[in-house]
Amino acid sequence: MTASTILPARQRPTTGRLILYSVTSVLLVFLVAPILVVFPLSLSSGELLVLPTPGYSWRWYADFFSSQRWLLATYNSFVVGILTTLIATSLGTLGAIGLYLGRFRGKAFVLALLSLPMVTPVIVTAIALYFSLSAVGLGSTLTGLVLAHTVLSVPYVLLTVLASLQSFDPNLLRASASLGANPIQSFYRVVLPLITPSVATGALFAFATSFDELIVALFIASPDQFTLPRQMYAGIREFLSPTIASAAVLIILLSVLLLMVNETIRKRAARHTLPSTHRTP
Amino acid sequence: MSDPIVVFDQITKSYDGINTVVHGLDLTIERGEFVTLLGPSGSGKTTSLMMLAGFEEPTSGTITLDGRLLNHVPAHQRGIGVVFQNYALFPHMSVAGNLSFPLEMQGIGRAERDQRITAALDMVKLGPLGERRPSELSGGQQQRVALARALVFQPKLVLMDEPLGALDKQLREHMQIEIKHIHEQLGVTVVYVTHDQSEALTMSDRVAVFNQGRIQQLASPATIYEEPANAFVASFIGENNRLVGTVASRDATYCRMMLEDGMQIEARLADDLAVGAKAVLSLRPERVMVGASGPESNRFEARIEELIYFGDHTKLRLSLGGSSGFMARTSFKDGLRDLQRGSLVMVSWSRDCGRAMAFSEQE
Amino acid sequence: MMSRRNLLAAALIAPLLLLVLVSFIVPLGATLYRAVDDAEIPTILPQTTALLKQWDGKGLPSEQTYQSLIAELREAQEQQKAGPVLNRLNFEETGLRSMLLQGLRASSRFTGSTKEGLIALNPRWADPHFWGLVKRSTGPWTPLYFLRSVDLKLGPDGAVVPTAEEEAVFVKLFVRTFEISLVVTLICAVLAYPVAYTLSILPQVWTNIGIMLVLIPFWTSILVRTTAWFIILQREGPINALLVSLHLVDQPVTMIFTRFAVYLAMVHVLLPFAILPLYSVMKGIKPDYMRAAASLGAPGWRRFLRIYLPLTMPGVAAGALMVFMLSVGFYITPALVGGSGDQMISYFIAFFTNTSVNWGIAAALAALLMGMTGILVAIAWLLVPGFRAGGVRV
Repeated sequence: MTASTILPARQRPTTGRLILYSVTSVLLVFLVAPILVVFPLSLSSGELLVLPTPGYSWRWYADFFSSQRWLLATYNSFVVGILTTLIATSLGTLGAIGLYLGRFRGKAFVLALLSLPMVTPVIVTAIALYFSLSAVGLGSTLTGLVLAHTVLSVPYVLLTVLASLQSFDPNLLRASASLGANPIQSFYRVVLPLITPSVATGALFAFATSFDELIVALFIASPDQFTLPRQMYAGIREFLSPTIASAAVLIILLSVLLLMVNETIRKRAARHTLPSTHRTP
Repeated sequence: MSDPIVVFDQITKSYDGINTVVHGLDLTIERGEFVTLLGPSGSGKTTSLMMLAGFEEPTSGTITLDGRLLNHVPAHQRGIGVVFQNYALFPHMSVAGNLSFPLEMQGIGRAERDQRITAALDMVKLGPLGERRPSELSGGQQQRVALARALVFQPKLVLMDEPLGALDKQLREHMQIEIKHIHEQLGVTVVYVTHDQSEALTMSDRVAVFNQGRIQQLASPATIYEEPANAFVASFIGENNRLVGTVASRDATYCRMMLEDGMQIEARLADDLAVGAKAVLSLRPERVMVGASGPESNRFEARIEELIYFGDHTKLRLSLGGSSGFMARTSFKDGLRDLQRGSLVMVSWSRDCGRAMAFSEQE
Repeated sequence: MMSRRNLLAAALIAPLLLLVLVSFIVPLGATLYRAVDDAEIPTILPQTTALLKQWDGKGLPSEQTYQSLIAELREAQEQQKAGPVLNRLNFEETGLRSMLLQGLRASSRFTGSTKEGLIALNPRWADPHFWGLVKRSTGPWTPLYFLRSVDLKLGPDGAVVPTAEEEAVFVKLFVRTFEISLVVTLICAVLAYPVAYTLSILPQVWTNIGIMLVLIPFWTSILVRTTAWFIILQREGPINALLVSLHLVDQPVTMIFTRFAVYLAMVHVLLPFAILPLYSVMKGIKPDYMRAAASLGAPGWRRFLRIYLPLTMPGVAAGALMVFMLSVGFYITPALVGGSGDQMISYFIAFFTNTSVNWGIAAALAALLMGMTGILVAIAWLLVPGFRAGGVRV
């Protein structure tokens, strides 16, 4: 429903409307401009991060792709991100189905316990994992990092899948049973196809969480386990070269790609007249 | 007698400039009248109501209220009460707060507000519920609050947009009568939108039947039912048998129609049809007499295809001539108890009950 | 007897629960326990601890206690384990570390009584208050770290007293964290309102574009966005270049490492969290409410104040709580663009964990931060129906 159908809009936008639209435009520009500024900076031909750039070149991307440290960080980020996504998505989805099926006391408590990593300030999680992972010899290992990122991202998968399970009509399962499907057939033929979009959304969130995570990496990654954010942070602290801007651009492009994939999943799911899986992300 | 309160003059409405929702609407509503806008969804009835309330602006034409041009008067200055389809009770205010709202807008003092709120709640029999939140009320109670809110500031005109649509059948019929009583009591003018024909017939002084953005007929409920102006009105209001044929002969009032299967029927002329013109016979099932007695004019033998029991009456689906969908209605007092599927019965009807109308291709 | 259904449910939940318990709940519990744990002295100086337990606290402990303390400390030092004990006692009262080290070095030359030798070395060895501190530190628990994290300590007589002014940094830190969070929350709420409203009334095409412009920063990593601000706000950065070239200023303005930079970057990072819930609330408000208010005689501004604002308050509350909750735990953004006076609790938790190793204080601050966040989550659950803390990605 647009404004004009709530109450008739006059032919000419009012002064109030014009102010409102201007304020909104300015704020939307404020939201994206800092992200856009990084693009020309990454293409600078100069050594300094200044605008206007003296000229344009791909040299900082070349620098990125020829630097052992940046390539290692990229590799680490993808390895950790993919492993995290696989573990978090499978455990989170199974857990959500379990919580959906279970009829036991203390279910709310279990759910609260499992969501706790999401509301705990990351610094607290980070020091807790720093102490305990080094105590069991997993400090400064990719395994430790995967474990930490899995714990941080699993609540997103759990809650997304659980929400879509809870919003679906139990009559569908009754219908499936009445049509002769046993519980396992019902699950594979009815439940799974309907929750797939939310599983995919959860997986994207898990990957994004791992890929963007810095604070835990600050505590438990040595240079051999540096991820992209950790390497960027080190770069900012040491020497601010435009390579950082080119790394930022690559991360931004990946984030936008993830966002687009998520929106596509959401729209397709909505077209299947699914109980809405629209989440305020 | 004529004391118009609302006049729609050549109102046209289009949302996108391409599709027209309302075409050149002319409608005059008398003071104190209960007028119902009836029609299928998308027929333009709700849009017309929205334009009157001030939530939509007409694309062209004028609307006047008490002689005052409304086109550029914003909704909040029109002083028209509105009962919304899902009530639109403000969820963050109590019942009394909802009723108080329009009075506060008029700057009415606290003492008088309280008094009028009490009176309005009493009128809808919700006296003790003033402090409740709308969410704590049943659907029927919410409906009464919505009604009270639209009336509490004493508007000259109240608009109701399918106000009973969310209630179950029994409550709906009860509220129909109650709204009718309130209307009579207060003498307020009511414009009522519904797609439920029985609601329209029960409550209204006049009914405007809408279809495709135009008023098809504007008349009293009895006229609408007994003398539908065209085939759309005939089929939209009540049940209706339709038999298609050509006019074989005619006089000033009646004609003889020849159906495709050769059957000949006498009927009253609803349109001025020439001999040879294609015509539709419209006949209500309850006008059909079943059994030996009955008028001689239209008298045929029919086979019972199906018996549908309704308790207070029974419907028969009959084969008559070439058609197998001819409906007739009998009641217990007709004394017909041994009707069976497949048996033959005599059906007949007065030539005054069948109405011959012009055939239009679009149906 | 467990139903088959619950058995299946338990089997499905078990792996996840195990993961979260082992790699989150247990580490978290162990870490928070450090805030009250007082195990250094009982573990490293067990005999001294036993002896001090017998000491009545009046007068001075026995010669044996003096000898035991020095002997056990020496042994610990040889095994490089003395650090935690020295830190622990020094945290109790600054200066104790050097006094103990001095005594340790001198004691090898003692010929007679260790007790007398130490007292001759430093009269504080004869101070019952010193021994009181050591006895108090023999565990198993101590309130010391929690007290210190709100600028309190135990006085000589065991009463709770304020810490010395130069050490009282933590209350200021909490106040600063709250102040920054509150300012950021208010700015976000005020700015989110018009944006969400505009997005909720625009034609669908424009709404989709607008929502994308909100979602892109939302999905972009916080580090990347903070880095962008770090670059933009530099002395030689684009804003200063622009200001100088427009002759608005003669000298570049200092923006980086200021409170202003912290506010700017934090608002930028958190604004989408305020816009999105507000937008979905506004989108859900049926136009009939505003129409009803108009038909009842309310002009535009009264419709807004009496109907629209109250109906959208849950969205404002949800967004504001989310922003506040996230702000309180912020670390990276202030660390990169703020100055030394703009750092928040998280920064000091990291500082006490890594730089100035005092895990007790780090754990106490972490517990307090978690407690505050817990209260905020509880408020959100109670006040905002259907609140889900979805999307907390810092």
